[in-house]
Amino acid sequence: MMKPKVAFFDFAGCEGDQLQVANLEEELLKLLDKVEVVSFREVMKEHSDNYDIAFIEGSCTRLQDEDRLKQIRKNAKIVVAIGSCATIGGINALRNYKDLDEVRRTVYGEHAKLFDTYAARPIDAVIPVDAYVHGCPIDREEFLNVVKSLLLGKKPEIPNYPVCVECKKNENVCAFERGQFCVGPVTRAGCNSCCVNEGTICWGCRGLIDNPNENAQKEVLIKYGLTVNDAINKFKLYFGWQEAKR
Amino acid sequence: MEHAYLICCLIGQQRLAGLGMKVISKKDFDDFVDALIKDSSWNIVGVKAKDGKFVFGPLESASELRLDYDVTLLPPKKYFFPQRETLFTYSLADGFSAKSPSETKPLVIIGVHPYDIMALLHMDEIFRETKSDPYYFEKRETSVIVGVNIQKMSKWNFSAYMGCATIDWGYDLMLTDLGNKYAISIGSQKGEELLEKYAKNVMPALAKDVQLVSQKKREIMNMSSQKLDFPPEMIPSLLQRAYGESDFWERHSEKCLACGSCVLVCPTCYCFDVRDNPDLTLEQGERFRTWDGCLLEDFAKVASGENFRPTRPTRYRHRYFKKGKYLFERFGFISCVGCGRCSSNCLPDIANPVNLFNDMYREMTNKGVEVKPATPPEVTVETEGNIEYVPKLATIIRKTPFTTNETLFEIMLDDGSELGHKPGQFVEVSVFGVGEAPISLASSPTKKGSFELCVRKLGNVTTKLHSLNVGDRVGIRGPFGNGFDAEALKGKDLLFIAGGLGIAPLRSLFNYVLDNRKDYGRVILLYGCKEPRELLFKDEMLALALRDDVEFKPTVNWCPENEVWTGNIGVITTLIPQVSFDPERTYVIVCGPPVMYKFVIADLKTKNVQDDHIILSLERRMKCGVGKCGHCQINQIYVCKDGPVFNYSKIKGVPEAL
Repeated sequence: MMKPKVAFFDFAGCEGDQLQVANLEEELLKLLDKVEVVSFREVMKEHSDNYDIAFIEGSCTRLQDEDRLKQIRKNAKIVVAIGSCATIGGINALRNYKDLDEVRRTVYGEHAKLFDTYAARPIDAVIPVDAYVHGCPIDREEFLNVVKSLLLGKKPEIPNYPVCVECKKNENVCAFERGQFCVGPVTRAGCNSCCVNEGTICWGCRGLIDNPNENAQKEVLIKYGLTVNDAINKFKLYFGWQEAKR
Repeated sequence: MEHAYLICCLIGQQRLAGLGMKVISKKDFDDFVDALIKDSSWNIVGVKAKDGKFVFGPLESASELRLDYDVTLLPPKKYFFPQRETLFTYSLADGFSAKSPSETKPLVIIGVHPYDIMALLHMDEIFRETKSDPYYFEKRETSVIVGVNIQKMSKWNFSAYMGCATIDWGYDLMLTDLGNKYAISIGSQKGEELLEKYAKNVMPALAKDVQLVSQKKREIMNMSSQKLDFPPEMIPSLLQRAYGESDFWERHSEKCLACGSCVLVCPTCYCFDVRDNPDLTLEQGERFRTWDGCLLEDFAKVASGENFRPTRPTRYRHRYFKKGKYLFERFGFISCVGCGRCSSNCLPDIANPVNLFNDMYREMTNKGVEVKPATPPEVTVETEGNIEYVPKLATIIRKTPFTTNETLFEIMLDDGSELGHKPGQFVEVSVFGVGEAPISLASSPTKKGSFELCVRKLGNVTTKLHSLNVGDRVGIRGPFGNGFDAEALKGKDLLFIAGGLGIAPLRSLFNYVLDNRKDYGRVILLYGCKEPRELLFKDEMLALALRDDVEFKPTVNWCPENEVWTGNIGVITTLIPQVSFDPERTYVIVCGPPVMYKFVIADLKTKNVQDDHIILSLERRMKCGVGKCGHCQINQIYVCKDGPVFNYSKIKGVPEAL
């Protein structure tokens, strides 16, 4: 069997997801038995537009980036969005709550006019996406699982249940019981509740499950002591684009 | 409040009665635990502190033990039915091999509260029914349960109402704290031997110790801060009356996050999902099972996208029904031990069974509904052999594409044996690395040497299956399910009504009937699909038209202009008025998409067909095939085990069925 050719692309993001892939180390070598990497700016100089699978990191934040995305879609058989910015808009979508001119002035000062922008959005707001590796950053194990699924011709099994499921299986003390505030009950699982396992909270980087009970979760946050505003902010951090769409 | 509840007693009677009581100083007890830990032939776990809460975990020293705990985060079932468990590892290289996981050391669990012991007794019955779960019992049978009577009770606990705040069986040893010493009730020979071998200075209990233990147990019965307003024997009948109160269920589940916490922490929940995890070579991997929960959105969703419990209220209701009614009808016990874990883990605070049942009782009483205690059913839990989770290897010997999405696969078991199925049964087909899917048998048992499956490309397994070729290997488990009773239909007229892919399971019976044609009366087949190009088994259908001992009428919902169709146009029900038959002599066998049944049944009723002359084959998400994993459950019925073939008279009262 010909090895499928894969390429990595980045848009507005920190490139932390590609770093996770680069950090796969031994697993990465095993992976190279199965795929041929033709473009990966973070680890190699070469580039080719001849690829089967495109991994895209980052959000789309400008109109002119849409052309590049559409070109990638045209070249690739399979498009995979990796990381929160690409899958759900991520942290970038926080600015969608602000006046975008003000955002430009804050970042670029007097040169603001030179830099075009629009509401930050996930990749699938621009082109069809075949598979998702959620997370900020992505989980290496899950990245490998998605790649294995694609190689086997299988739709990756991305959970449509919340982080609580993994948290309970991991026998964590609930963040709320520890006096903290968590959006795990509405956030898509698949991370093995890694943040709560380490004693912190779920921030929601994997985005909302398909049918979250958002009002009930906000009520819970307020019942446990958050102000209404803080509860809303908890949702803004990662769910901005998804909430605006709902 | 002191009545020990229901069949708990029944289970108890099968166990060994108490073997007396001993006492041991706390210092000597610690030495006993340390001696066990030191002996590497055991795996010693016990209750330990974790971030202000408690868990069962491996003990490094007796000093870690916290027998004064209130409740643990997860119940001890995790040792017998772990959160994630490898069923087998496989390798596709050099043919195929599957290996079950290697055996683990026998376990001693120290500090199990009585309600959790009762929960394990429930799990034993559930995992034993029909076929035994070898993974569960291999661990359960070698383990030693050291219980402890409750010293502090969680504020959510209502085990006293469920009859298991204390327990007199189900343990090997049971501790009661008597200040500077423990009383140890000996529950089994295994427990006694453990004590003899590892403990020093074990003394017989004196009369006052025995008295003190009884007094402590009485005190425990009154420690509960929860209060159930009525006897729990009324729960099944109460639920029965409340099933259709959709407003009640909507109100109570309005804040449900569908996070599954209530069922994941439950000591008697046993639903699971089965998945494959290939390694990076893609040639090897494992099949594992992992806890699942009926509160989760996709729990009852099948590959076609149909979700049989799509809304939060219906899933919320299902949980209470499963615990309070369905398992009661099946096993004779209410499968709730009152540990309160669901209540304490529910952030919106809607999972407390005491609150729900009290509300239900109040609302029903206000409505003037009289609720009587349920009589425990006569229960005989039958079991025969072990569940086979490892599939048999089989080879695709023929592949006949019917449409772009549907293909007939002819498959032969590699060991040369016959599948030995009945018409209407199904198999679980494995594509290793991708998973397992339930597929109806499309061939009659009269066809020897191989069997046929008509597969529609829908989910991962069926899509992958389509990419396989003649000579490729798959795994087969089964046959599963009850199948059609071809014997009982002998001498009758048969009217087959098939919609779309529903022709596949019907064909297994239809062909059987044709192969034994003289045993049956008239045979009529009505078959409908969307458009002519979606017609399955076209050649066979053409051949049918030439037979004079079969009446055959096909229909299509529509016919595109560029295609030729001379038959009926219209949905399947438009054919029913076109055939005349004697409703007394005729049995109608129906299979099709879920939406089809109620329309077909309504039309059959206008033809005076009696309920018990209608036989249906239903589709659900059959995952384990043996009535354990819970995915295919409709109300109290497991489709994989009690079905997929049902007599309409038996399921017309089952609200989720049609």
